[in-house]
Amino acid sequence: MKRVYKRLIILVSAASFLALIVYLLISYIPKPPAKEIEKARIALAKAFKSKADTYSAELYVEAKANFDSAMVNWQKENEKFIYFRKYDRVSWFARQSIIKSKQGIETSNLSSSSYKVKLKEKILKLNDLIEDINAYFNRYPLPSETRNAISMGKLNLKEAEIDYNKGQYIPANKKLNSAEDLLTSSYEKAYSDLEQYFTFYPQWKKWADLAIRESKKNQCYSILVDKLSRKCYVYLSGVKKYEFDCDLGRNWVGDKKKMGDKATPEGMYRIVNKYSGTKYNNALLLDYPNEEDRIRFNHEKAKGLIPKNARIGNGIEIHGSGGKGVDWTEGCIALDDDEMAVIFRIASVGTPVTIVGSMKNLQQILNR
Amino acid sequence: MKNKILMGLAAIAMVAFLSSCGKVPQAEIDAVNVAIDSAAKVEAGVYLPTEFAAVQDSMKAIMADVEVQKSKLFKKFGPAKMKLEALLTQTNGLVANTAVKKEEVKKEVETTLTDIKTIIEENAKLFKKAPRGKEGAAVLEQIKTEMATIDAAVVEAQASYDKGTYMDALNKIKAAKERATGINTELKDAIAKVKRR
Repeated sequence: MKRVYKRLIILVSAASFLALIVYLLISYIPKPPAKEIEKARIALAKAFKSKADTYSAELYVEAKANFDSAMVNWQKENEKFIYFRKYDRVSWFARQSIIKSKQGIETSNLSSSSYKVKLKEKILKLNDLIEDINAYFNRYPLPSETRNAISMGKLNLKEAEIDYNKGQYIPANKKLNSAEDLLTSSYEKAYSDLEQYFTFYPQWKKWADLAIRESKKNQCYSILVDKLSRKCYVYLSGVKKYEFDCDLGRNWVGDKKKMGDKATPEGMYRIVNKYSGTKYNNALLLDYPNEEDRIRFNHEKAKGLIPKNARIGNGIEIHGSGGKGVDWTEGCIALDDDEMAVIFRIASVGTPVTIVGSMKNLQQILNR
Repeated sequence: MKNKILMGLAAIAMVAFLSSCGKVPQAEIDAVNVAIDSAAKVEAGVYLPTEFAAVQDSMKAIMADVEVQKSKLFKKFGPAKMKLEALLTQTNGLVANTAVKKEEVKKEVETTLTDIKTIIEENAKLFKKAPRGKEGAAVLEQIKTEMATIDAAVVEAQASYDKGTYMDALNKIKAAKERATGINTELKDAIAKVKRR
């Protein structure tokens, strides 16, 4: 009986020893950082979802590189004998990846929302700018390159709006910047031309006031042409009686310099003749060039501002066949035939015709 | 003695059995990687970016599983193998879906190109009528320039289409179509104004 007990004790002891050995063997196997890797992978996926690859690309790239390094190191360690494996570096890379992913998400959320706000503001601003350009310069004789730039700017803005609505803010921003460059530079150029043109405003105002005063004083008709608004006003005894639309010379900005420049002259003139049945139906011939025009023409020629062989030109009329809504004449003022008939009826030889750049100052025009 | 020998053999067989379960499913891993490369080549990242990212993420998760098993004394790659097989099917599906999506975008570009050409032709006809009006045609010069810009945009979109970059072509042509439609409305309004007089 004693022998049986002895054997049993030996067997139990051996089994316990074996179990202890197995336990020690298993427990000493290094634990792989599976949870950290899983966290890093999820964080990286979240970073991608929040578009960190776009809005915080640097952090996203770092996070991804750290994750890849963790995996590579893990694979390397797993190739070693099971008890020689060390996962410290794997864990370190995984933690770094998590940190960078989180930073990436934060930065991306911040920058994408601020991007969104900024882009929306820019889109609104540029649409306002287009409205201004349309309002002030649609009939302003801009150079073709400026018109092309405006047109390209509008198309870029449209493309940017499509990208913006799709949530693609980076390409939207790129196109908006291009649209902004094109539209702003075109507007600035056109505005500076307009500003330059309006340095003559005091003179125009003086002429217009004088024309209205004379009309009142002499109880007569007086015709006033506002080039910028394309309006032809008829005053009687200082009171506005008619207001008609008109078309001008293609190159209407500024005073007429010489023959063939397609500009409509500015100044105080008088009707010197009336014709019916001309190429443009009814026509009222003005006394352009007057004495002042001649003096200025000769002065500019002497200064070399216009070519020596240039001629001053003549035959400036108020005539019919207008109402096209575009500036197409060689320098004349064209009215719709029906409206021209009204002017033709009331005007006579000697009726004053005052042509000004604008009857409103630039501020009034820009305030619309 | 005979029993002891038999027990020893059984233990060895057990160990052999357990370790035989621990073979990395390399063929399946390679197959999925090849399928992901194919998806990238057909521009799944451009046409189906969310689905493509999901496939890549699933692969990362499976590879992490594989490494977990490799870290163990008794490896078990069965579940990973099953996941890889499922992912392979998913990725092959993605390749096919990308082709379908690409075709859809291509068709949309073609339709939009046809539409815009019709609008451009109509605009050209309307433009000829518009100057006869009065205030309605005030923007003609700018419209003419814009029509030229739209023509250029159509050429660019056509070039992108010919290159096979349908998404770029679509973005460009959509913007051009919106502008062309805007001009069409402006011209029609200008003509209508004249008719009302």
